[in-house]
Amino acid sequence: MMSGQAENVAIVTQQLTKSYGKVKALQGVDLTVYRGEIFGFLGPNGAGKTTTIRCLMDLIRPDNGTISIMGHDPQVNPVVVKTNSGYLPGELHLNANLTAEKQLRYFNDLRGGQAEWSFIRQLADRLDLDLKRPIKNLSKGNKQKVGVIQALMHRPQLLLLDEPTGGLDPLMQQEVLNLIREAKEAGTTVFFSSHVMSEVEAIAERVGIIRQGKIVEVAETAALTERSLVQATVHFQKPVDCDILAGLSNVKMISQDDGLTATLQVWGEMDDLIKTLAAYPVSSLETVRPSLEEVFLEYYKSEPDNKEVVDHVH
Amino acid sequence: MFTELRYSLRRYRWQILGWGLGVAALGLIIVAFYGSFIEEQEQFMQMLESYPPEFLAFFGGDASTMATPEGYLGMYGFSLLPLIVGIFAILAGSGLIASDEEGGQLDLILAHPLSRTAFFFGRLIALLLASLLIVFLGWLGFSVLLGGSALELSWLEMALPFLPLLAQVLIYCTLALLLSMLLPARRLAALVAGLVLVISFLLSSLSTLNEGLESIAAFLPYAYFQGSDALSGLNLGWLGGLLAVSLILSLLAWWRFMQRDIRVAGEGGWL
Repeated sequence: MMSGQAENVAIVTQQLTKSYGKVKALQGVDLTVYRGEIFGFLGPNGAGKTTTIRCLMDLIRPDNGTISIMGHDPQVNPVVVKTNSGYLPGELHLNANLTAEKQLRYFNDLRGGQAEWSFIRQLADRLDLDLKRPIKNLSKGNKQKVGVIQALMHRPQLLLLDEPTGGLDPLMQQEVLNLIREAKEAGTTVFFSSHVMSEVEAIAERVGIIRQGKIVEVAETAALTERSLVQATVHFQKPVDCDILAGLSNVKMISQDDGLTATLQVWGEMDDLIKTLAAYPVSSLETVRPSLEEVFLEYYKSEPDNKEVVDHVH
Repeated sequence: MFTELRYSLRRYRWQILGWGLGVAALGLIIVAFYGSFIEEQEQFMQMLESYPPEFLAFFGGDASTMATPEGYLGMYGFSLLPLIVGIFAILAGSGLIASDEEGGQLDLILAHPLSRTAFFFGRLIALLLASLLIVFLGWLGFSVLLGGSALELSWLEMALPFLPLLAQVLIYCTLALLLSMLLPARRLAALVAGLVLVISFLLSSLSTLNEGLESIAAFLPYAYFQGSDALSGLNLGWLGGLLAVSLILSLLAWWRFMQRDIRVAGEGGWL
């Protein structure tokens, strides 16, 4: 990697592998996350999202491969990496006997007082969290808020968030997404995993999709949705033989109504379809771009053993 | 490391008070009743002589030695103290790191900027200090009534048996800690360490009656517990040996902790 590129890179993993007994959790994960970007990490349960994030934080040790976070190997310089990072685990567990404030004071003491207490209060106010309440009396969503605050409170250079909006109500989900956007505007790199496609689509500039421990796609969020399939609905002025359209190589017929309306799925370029339609009396043509969720599901539908995954995501 | 040490020590405060004051109360009673024991010595001796030797073996000796301060303190206090405080040692040692790991909290704690080494030794030193304070409170309880007691021991002399007791506590703390780093569950580590504690006590006690057991008992910690025998002089070789083994167990636990993955709640084979 060129030195100029290295300075611009926040996270690099190369050929990261990790097995739990016979289960291959990661199978050669190569990822590059650039400084200052929001990178969404998608995949169903068991795909390897959490394992990747926990490797980055040196909580688990990969069997093979290398990791660089802001130029440091987390196994060699864990303190430097963790000083500059904020981490929110997917399964958040806090000390139930402490109040939210005491828990955050403990975390801040572990950071050597890196965070300003006024900023912590500001975050708590925005998330509508009462810091005086014991954690054992907090709902799952309120515990998640404590987790979000501890990840953000020291204004880290890098945020590693595993399902950051889990357990939060829609209003608070939006507030957390706002906080992530603000962190990015302040120069923070954000690497976050999620099941909620709409939120990834809303804030992530780039997306990585992991399937069965392998990265199957890394792309800009917009490009990923644009280059994927399009749903086209064609209305004809008079009935036509729609089977001709279904015969095109990149078109699949979804439905047709007495030859007057045809709903199609189109992969890639629409040139062939439009040229074919030119021979017919078309009254209108509507196209709909897929959501990121539909794109994501496309990666799984093709695998026969992934019916369960697709059902789960739905 | 000091943050973790401070917070861990704070978490131990109720255990220190509970176990420390419990041992102290036992000491107060034992020392206070020595006068009555001497006055009723004849009846006590008759009662003790009626017990089978196998029973007396568990309390540190034969009936003839039990009228002496050493025998009395050994029978009613020091022979059993490693078992009593050993329970604290095993629970605290096995849970030092594994309880937060099984509870899922360790994941987030170790995501903060402290190295695994600093975290490990911060907690271990807190546990050692907690053990020291428990033994110290116990010593205070055994010593506070010595002034008016027929035991005729000074506070300093009374401190001597508590040094081997501390060494026993440290052995079980570090053994349980190492087992918790090797075995898949804290409870399993506590169970194995607890078995070592009980078997060690039984074998060492019975080896006074059956010399054949001595060779097996020699591999277990209780064989090197002086108890009230320390009143007539510490066996520094045993004491140093126990402390050295504790150090080795601690270093092995640290090495294992440095190598292994941190598991999250519900992951792996928790029992």
